[in-house]
Amino acid sequence: MTDLLRGIVGMSDWRVWAMFGVGLALIWLAVKKEYEPNLLLPMGFGCLLANIPFSSAVGGGFLDVLFKGGITTELFPILIFIGIGAMIDFGPLLQDPEMLFFGAAAQFGIFFTIILALLVGRIPGVTGIPGLKEAAAIGIIGAADGPTSIYVAARFAPALLAPITVAAYSYMSLVPIIQPPIIRMLTTREERMIHMENPEHEVSKTVKVIFPIAVTLIAGIIAPMSVALIGSLMFGNLLRESGVTERLSKTAQNELSSLVTILLGITIGSSMGGKQFLNPTTLLIIGMGLIAFVFDTAGGVLFAKLINLFRKRKINPMIGACGISAFPMSARVIQKMAQQEDGSNFIIMHAVGANVAGQIASIIAGGLILALVR
Amino acid sequence: MDAVVGEGLRVSGLSYALIFVVLGIFYGLIKLLLKILPPRDESA
Repeated sequence: MTDLLRGIVGMSDWRVWAMFGVGLALIWLAVKKEYEPNLLLPMGFGCLLANIPFSSAVGGGFLDVLFKGGITTELFPILIFIGIGAMIDFGPLLQDPEMLFFGAAAQFGIFFTIILALLVGRIPGVTGIPGLKEAAAIGIIGAADGPTSIYVAARFAPALLAPITVAAYSYMSLVPIIQPPIIRMLTTREERMIHMENPEHEVSKTVKVIFPIAVTLIAGIIAPMSVALIGSLMFGNLLRESGVTERLSKTAQNELSSLVTILLGITIGSSMGGKQFLNPTTLLIIGMGLIAFVFDTAGGVLFAKLINLFRKRKINPMIGACGISAFPMSARVIQKMAQQEDGSNFIIMHAVGANVAGQIASIIAGGLILALVR
Repeated sequence: MDAVVGEGLRVSGLSYALIFVVLGIFYGLIKLLLKILPPRDESA
């Protein structure tokens, strides 16, 4: 009888109600607004499971087992990357490799936010960001790449994993709302109307097969800490491009990706216990995550404008904003904006090229941060 | 300046620069691959 009553007694803690609200809000965002539903829905439900007083799902339950097996070991984000790699077509990037540099430029938000988080952590009374590792884990939200954020946060700041993941995925889904005003603020209408010629040359299958292998080897030799991330992404891509493992490629794109997304989402949700989640640091992380996305976008656009100073054939600076890793959302947003200004302007190929470059750049950024932050 | 903030600036600046370096190497790699392996090789 006591066992039956303790659940009801546990409901007297306000944090339980607050976290039920957070869990239900995530489910509502997924179901009604369709914001990253594949992740936010499992996360929301995981949050509910974890916050029911004396829940058997946590405290040694199956969600704890999943957390130790999939998050602490970094297995889930790695497996997700195999699926993402199998989904990505690097063709537009290989046709127009200059787009790589926009992927690099648009990582600016990560580093701006690291410094910002360090400064915020120095404010008297702020206790959740004691050092560079925590600041780096917050900054990596600017990678606009959920698995990279989880991978770095799990290693550097496990206590901040839940709010970092919520911020990363929430802002990825909000790219259509975050990016356009920043782009409009930094560009003129004439710049947004710049047409770009589509590359005419095709890319051979051999190049598409060699590319993931070569990138893995080069990135791995330069930054061995990035091998797990870049290697799994490129392995997935090799399954796709080899042309001889279609069954494996489809499994990676569909079954593997879906299965791990379910487990990843519900497990991250289970880490949203009221005691850990409901504190001022969570609000700071949510705020700084938004700043990271804003400065990613600004970094990419301003870099494109800088490049244009030296080029005869101008680049539409909106392409710079596609250098974030939120794929293919960002490319779609920029194509839509280009067409709003000029219905005959098609820059989608360049936008997709910059967007997949952002995917590579964000992983390299994660690997470098893991290697350099001590 | 706070030593931790100084270290953060150093790591951030270095990382941002290194991303350009690494992606610059990939740029060279792609250009090289496109040059030595043009699409017409496929029909051979």
